[in-house]
Amino acid sequence: MSLKNTAERWGSVSQLLHWTIAVLIILIGVVGLVMGELPRTPKYFWVYTAHKSLGLTVLALVLVRIAWRLYAGAPVPVPGTPRWQALLASLTHAVIYLLILAMPLSGWLYDSASGLRPFRWFGLFQVPKLAAPDEALAATSHGAHELLFWVLLALVAGHAGAALYHHFVQRDATLARMLPRGWIPAPPAKDSE
Amino acid sequence: MNIKLTTPAAVAAALATLLAATPALAADYAQAAGSTLAFASRYDGELFTGRFPDFDTRISFDPAHPEAGRLEVTIGLASAVTGNADRDSTLRTADFFNVAQFAQARYTASGFRKLADGQYAADGTLELRGVRKPVTLTFTWTEGTQPVLSGKAVVKRLEFGVGGGDWADTDTIPDAVNISTRVVLKPL
Repeated sequence: MSLKNTAERWGSVSQLLHWTIAVLIILIGVVGLVMGELPRTPKYFWVYTAHKSLGLTVLALVLVRIAWRLYAGAPVPVPGTPRWQALLASLTHAVIYLLILAMPLSGWLYDSASGLRPFRWFGLFQVPKLAAPDEALAATSHGAHELLFWVLLALVAGHAGAALYHHFVQRDATLARMLPRGWIPAPPAKDSE
Repeated sequence: MNIKLTTPAAVAAALATLLAATPALAADYAQAAGSTLAFASRYDGELFTGRFPDFDTRISFDPAHPEAGRLEVTIGLASAVTGNADRDSTLRTADFFNVAQFAQARYTASGFRKLADGQYAADGTLELRGVRKPVTLTFTWTEGTQPVLSGKAVVKRLEFGVGGGDWADTDTIPDAVNISTRVVLKPL
């Protein structure tokens, strides 16, 4: 399999980044939604630290991913894709990239402005604060963090739904080309190919 | 005291009585606007400060006779604010101030000491969370139409059970909490 992306397929680097980030975001999202229900005692603070640490990991991976995409390019839409669908997909991808940058950044800002305790990435090294303790800024960034999550969730649902639509209804390679060859049956050849 | 100032001798006797009773001249003051009561601690090394906007001070004090001084402070524990709503609500729980059961803390002292550096010390008693323990307040007194008491004290939180259980680790939250206050006083 090619490391770099080709006109037909995503290479292994892009695939690995795509799916690693996707799994991490699902994990972080679930933890983020439930951690507020935990008793607020030091016994459970590691859950918050894990949420933040995974979030900053995603931030780093997204930066790598965007750099790789700029370097390695992206496959073109599968043949026969209507122009409006290709545009909508590109727009969705662009906004998802922005959101998965904005999510960890708003969380980091919220953590900084809260000023509750130092944040050490997986307990290993201290992460600098983006802002001094500020109750209003903490409230704003927390609100943004939550709101952006729901926007991201909606877009990811649309993105995944479109991939499944391509695979099961259109029966084209859109989903298969983001996976290693042979992981899912190649769609049957269509008349256009 | 019922003194009849009928003769010069009686006046002199009355004055002598008053002078002898100088401690009784210690002026009584109540807290005026602009007063603050603050505390500072750390979580995992990260400094935070808080205030009790709801506190009230009564003091009887004459700098010339500190031994006759008396001080009484009541503190509304639920008023504690630290710049973070999550931390503030945690402070009100049973793990910390337990405001549902102990809404107020009280600090009382009588008989102050004058220190070599010109400050005063009150060896008082803090009643917090149902526990009474000695706490010394060191303060300066600035005379004026509204005298100002500026004081500091160190409270060992664990003596009072503030932050017990999961919060008891002093590597995370030190035992010693620094208290500072600036009380603007109006004569009663």
